[in-house]
Amino acid sequence: MGPKNKQESHNSPCLAVAIGGLELKNPLMTASGTFGYGEEFAPFVALNRLGAVIVKGLSLEPRSGNPPPRIMETPSGMLNAVGLQNVGARAFIAEKLPFLRQYNVAVIANIFGETVEEYQRVAEILSGAKGIHGIEINISCPNVNKGGLAFGARPDAAAEVTEKVRGETDLPLLVKLTPNVTDITEVALAVEAAGADAVSLINTLTGMSVDIELRRPHLANITGGLSGPAIRPIALRMVWQVANAVKIPVVGIGGIMSAADALEFLITGASAVQIGTANFIRPAATMEILDGIVNYMIRHGIGDITELIGSLNTNQAGEG
Amino acid sequence: MSEKESLLTAQIIDNRRVAPAHFLMTVRLPLSFATPFPGQFVMIRNDECDGPLLARPLSVYGFQRQQDHAVMDLLYRVAGRGTSLFSRMMPGEELCFFGPLGKGFSVPTGVKRVLLVAGGVGVAPLIFLLHKGLLPAHGKGIIETIFYLGARTAELLTGLERLCGSCDLKICTDDGSRGYHGPVTGLLKHDIGGFDAGDTVIYACGPKPMVRAMGNLLQDAPIPCQVSLEERMACGLGACLGCAVAVRTGEGKTDYRRVCKDGPVFDLRDIVFTSPAGP
Repeated sequence: MGPKNKQESHNSPCLAVAIGGLELKNPLMTASGTFGYGEEFAPFVALNRLGAVIVKGLSLEPRSGNPPPRIMETPSGMLNAVGLQNVGARAFIAEKLPFLRQYNVAVIANIFGETVEEYQRVAEILSGAKGIHGIEINISCPNVNKGGLAFGARPDAAAEVTEKVRGETDLPLLVKLTPNVTDITEVALAVEAAGADAVSLINTLTGMSVDIELRRPHLANITGGLSGPAIRPIALRMVWQVANAVKIPVVGIGGIMSAADALEFLITGASAVQIGTANFIRPAATMEILDGIVNYMIRHGIGDITELIGSLNTNQAGEG
Repeated sequence: MSEKESLLTAQIIDNRRVAPAHFLMTVRLPLSFATPFPGQFVMIRNDECDGPLLARPLSVYGFQRQQDHAVMDLLYRVAGRGTSLFSRMMPGEELCFFGPLGKGFSVPTGVKRVLLVAGGVGVAPLIFLLHKGLLPAHGKGIIETIFYLGARTAELLTGLERLCGSCDLKICTDDGSRGYHGPVTGLLKHDIGGFDAGDTVIYACGPKPMVRAMGNLLQDAPIPCQVSLEERMACGLGACLGCAVAVRTGEGKTDYRRVCKDGPVFDLRDIVFTSPAGP
């Protein structure tokens, strides 16, 4: 590449990444459950500029979710126990997907079920729909007894659901992992062997908070999933562990609020990142993060984002 | 909502204490900001300080367009860390601001008599409704507006200066320090039998126990009541599904609706009062 070309590439760095056969224009995805079905954010976000939209988790039948109160703010984070409220896979295709189809953005359907068969049925229904580019299996919701955590906490169960869903779809398959396990790499390795194209992590950490005046839990569900900056260092550590253990791409999730946070995950080994709680706080967060990543790459003379992914230098301070 | 919500930085013009733990904030907005309907709300957050993560929903108390900008009033009670930080902000400081959000009150045709029932800081959206939605309709159908205003004590009554002379005002205090001694729903209970359900409508906003009492009071009275609910929210945009309220659907089932997007104004008859922590 000549000097002129190099200069040009640095002014508009290449952000494209591939996640298990899914070609994305950039590594920014919206985390499931934090971006609705895309429409809610259209006034604030140029959806065409996103790498992918991951929609709210879908089940075979509509689900009404948990009773309120469902959320509580905690230091640098929030607890939620929404309980996988969703319109159901068929209503999503009929009512929500047409809106997203207008945009040039990859749509990833996040799916869950109470049984392996239900996961399979949802995957089958969604794989046949025009405008779905990938499937993310949620085996990690902490707020519903049978909302997937039963599958996500055990490597053999995680492998089983992955393998069965794999049999139903040719779409790129991501498996979203729970941090509520002793060793997340065991589960990651198990789903990789079962045919996952990528793993995304972490889902929320199970947490709790109490109103001391009433001596009642703040959430009707008693416990909830903790998200936001409070969990970021844990998420980053787990991405580091998993990226070193598996060969498939890792998608980093967990309290990413800024471009600097997203870059931490990319450098640590995530091939892409998902923006979650930040969408609630600043609806245009994804756009700000994308601009910030581009500015960083220009500032550091990085022409292609793949140069950045997994570039963490762990030499002793001073050596590198 | 007929116009789009916008995301912007708003400058504080004034922010002063109007009663113990109650503040009135006035912010400057660009003219492009959509005119809020009574009952709509905005999400505000102090982006500069190391404060709470989530924005706070506040209902619109007043809105005027000037020559080159718009001005919004927000009446709020210091209820926690987020609102406490707002209360310490100074004129000139900026807020991350988006709105207007949600579905507001509606004024049905054929209404002759309006009852506004406010508890505490719940007065804010009702005063905005009175000035923007009801007073302009006086003489065009509405012949009587009665405002039931309740607070714990006389010094916690807010919004009086915006009410004087504009309607029939009935004050209630829990401690009897001014007006009727007891909750606002207590006085309403005395009066309710005198209103004709055919041409009366009630608008209500207040703390959860008041909303629950309104539900009980109006269970057998056929007077329609629109109530503005308050709930913890993360996004205000309908995405987080955090602000759920249980409602009766058309098919007679119970389902959840989002206070931010499907409300905050609901028909009181649709609300299902279940858990002790519910509305």
